[in-house]
Amino acid sequence: MNGAQAMIKCLEAEGIELIFGYPGVAIAPFYDAMYDSSIKHVLTRQEQAAGHAASGYARISRKPAVCVTSSGPGATNIITSLATAYADSIPIIVITGQVNSELLGRDVFQEADMRGATQSFVKYSYLVKNVDDIPRIFKEAFFIANTGRKGPVLIDIPVDVQMKELSKEFKYPDSVDIRGYKPNTKGNPQQMTKVIAAINSAERPLICAGGGVILGNGETTVREFCEKYQIPLVHTMMGIGVMAKAHPMYYGMLGNNGKPYANNAVANCDLLIIVGARVADRAIPRPKNLEKKLTVIHIDIDTAEIGKVLGPTIPLVGDVNNIFRTLIESDIHVDTAQWIRELEAFKKSTVDHRVWSDELVNPMTLVQTLSDKMDDDAIYVADVGQNQLWSADNYVMKHGRYMTTGGMGCMGYSIPAAMGAKFCEPDKQVVAVCGDGSFQMSMYELGTLAVNKIPLKILVMKNRYLGLVREYQHYNYQDRYSGVRLHDYPYYDKIAEAYDMKYFEASDNESMPGIIDEFLASEGSAIMVCNIDSQDITK
Amino acid sequence: MRGIFSVLVENKDGVLSQISGLFARRGFNIDSLAVGETERHDISSMTIVSTGDNRTIDQIEKQLNKKVDVIKVRRLDETKCIEMEMMLIKVSYNATNRSSLIEICSVMGAKILHVSNKHLLIEIHDSPEVVENFISLVRPFGIVEVQRTGTVAMSKN
Repeated sequence: MNGAQAMIKCLEAEGIELIFGYPGVAIAPFYDAMYDSSIKHVLTRQEQAAGHAASGYARISRKPAVCVTSSGPGATNIITSLATAYADSIPIIVITGQVNSELLGRDVFQEADMRGATQSFVKYSYLVKNVDDIPRIFKEAFFIANTGRKGPVLIDIPVDVQMKELSKEFKYPDSVDIRGYKPNTKGNPQQMTKVIAAINSAERPLICAGGGVILGNGETTVREFCEKYQIPLVHTMMGIGVMAKAHPMYYGMLGNNGKPYANNAVANCDLLIIVGARVADRAIPRPKNLEKKLTVIHIDIDTAEIGKVLGPTIPLVGDVNNIFRTLIESDIHVDTAQWIRELEAFKKSTVDHRVWSDELVNPMTLVQTLSDKMDDDAIYVADVGQNQLWSADNYVMKHGRYMTTGGMGCMGYSIPAAMGAKFCEPDKQVVAVCGDGSFQMSMYELGTLAVNKIPLKILVMKNRYLGLVREYQHYNYQDRYSGVRLHDYPYYDKIAEAYDMKYFEASDNESMPGIIDEFLASEGSAIMVCNIDSQDITK
Repeated sequence: MRGIFSVLVENKDGVLSQISGLFARRGFNIDSLAVGETERHDISSMTIVSTGDNRTIDQIEKQLNKKVDVIKVRRLDETKCIEMEMMLIKVSYNATNRSSLIEICSVMGAKILHVSNKHLLIEIHDSPEVVENFISLVRPFGIVEVQRTGTVAMSKN
């Protein structure tokens, strides 16, 4: 058995059924070994999309997903998706082919130092030098990617190592032993006692849930906690999906782009329980102000996140499920009736003063209508830009999934990530929502959709501008719109036709709901363009 | 404040670059960094000295701990550890000031390793403060070249 065959064996042992990738000479032995395997390969149209597709697949399957590229430019193309996955803690395994190990460092054709180049975008990386290390490295890579704070792991493997015969019989290890990596999942009992005491003495407790709750599969446990003790919840953008919008304890998304009543809750609580969130600048712009006036409990699997931005009163490191299960079973008595009445009164009194054009489709109504009409368990993938903020603001969370790239804000994410999600859950409704800018960043993937007959629905909010940058220039540069105009191209109907997709278009609020019905009900993949006034803004 | 970290790491390629990269990327200072193998070939020991506010020093410890190839991080208390550094320094002299330079060396416990007709090559190993002090004492003579190992530190207990 050679190295490439061993790599396939490892992936099979990890239960990998499908990988996204783009071949080349430096990874050819691996592709040859895959020829005889049951693993399905999806050829994307560019490596970055392979990375995003793996990210979408991983988020839905809640397990690490795999993508593969060749060396040099193929490998460097995937760095953006690595950085995106790293910022959002998504477990993906990125396998990159590398030039012959004897030629490493000589700048030969298509050589790129991938370990060096990705150092700050991966949780860990390997350069495989000895073919016999392959089983151990793969076992460790999957373990590292999917435990603790999850994240991408890179395996860079020279072409000669892929071709070399193993000197001993292939055996996939049962366990890993990395002396420097032992993630802590149980909350420290002493800290737990402090947490319980803090909740017991709180009058206005509030939970702020981040993407870590979803990554730790803790949505149900956190909701149960909120229900049992009647503790209201706000969330970050990555935390959309922890609680349904209709839930009585739900108080919306906080932050710059969030709901005023969510920010009001943060401003008026006396105990803030942050769980699985980084206290990022967009969510909590002025952490120092918070620190001074309230008790903060910060729960995270990653010790380094606690205290990085906000000095918490009570740090607690551990797994969300373990910790909230313990809290649910603890002796906690807190009366929040008055606090909830106050929050409810403020929520009811909140009036949205933003104005939208009557001429074209109102983006707020659009997202509300679309997410309302989508299946209960549908997957909504928002791209980056105004479409993302309108989506986060108006998405009606039921029991499905909402995905976006929060940390890196990587344009062009939605189509490949939604494609990955659809490969993972072919029977679920998946809709990618993007702007005309982000659509064009990933529209080459329509080829992958067409070839694989993936019935993905893509909704384009078209306003002929890079809207969010335009909006920024409106507020900060006195309407000097520089380099943001996309004009009318492409003709989306022709693009749809070129890829055998159905085409829908809405230009007013009256016909939009009916067209969405047709769009969602259509067979196969479809593009729906919604024309939006370029003057429409998010704030 | 000053943070002195004694860090045990896997002795393999790329680890030093991971650690120095972490400091560079997060804007932490490295005042000094010394690396060497321990009694085990597969483990290296690093002494890293940094300065920053409380939160920064805290973050350095946590971020170091997060690295897969970092086996153990210990933050040393300045008052409860021994810090040592070795320096080779080449200093110019002339007929009039040679004896006072030799006198400084002898007072400071520095060793003259080589004498040429223009320079003395001097070795000193002591705490970083003493090494700094020695540099300022010999500066008026004219320093030609300095090589410092960086601080190594060990807790007394």
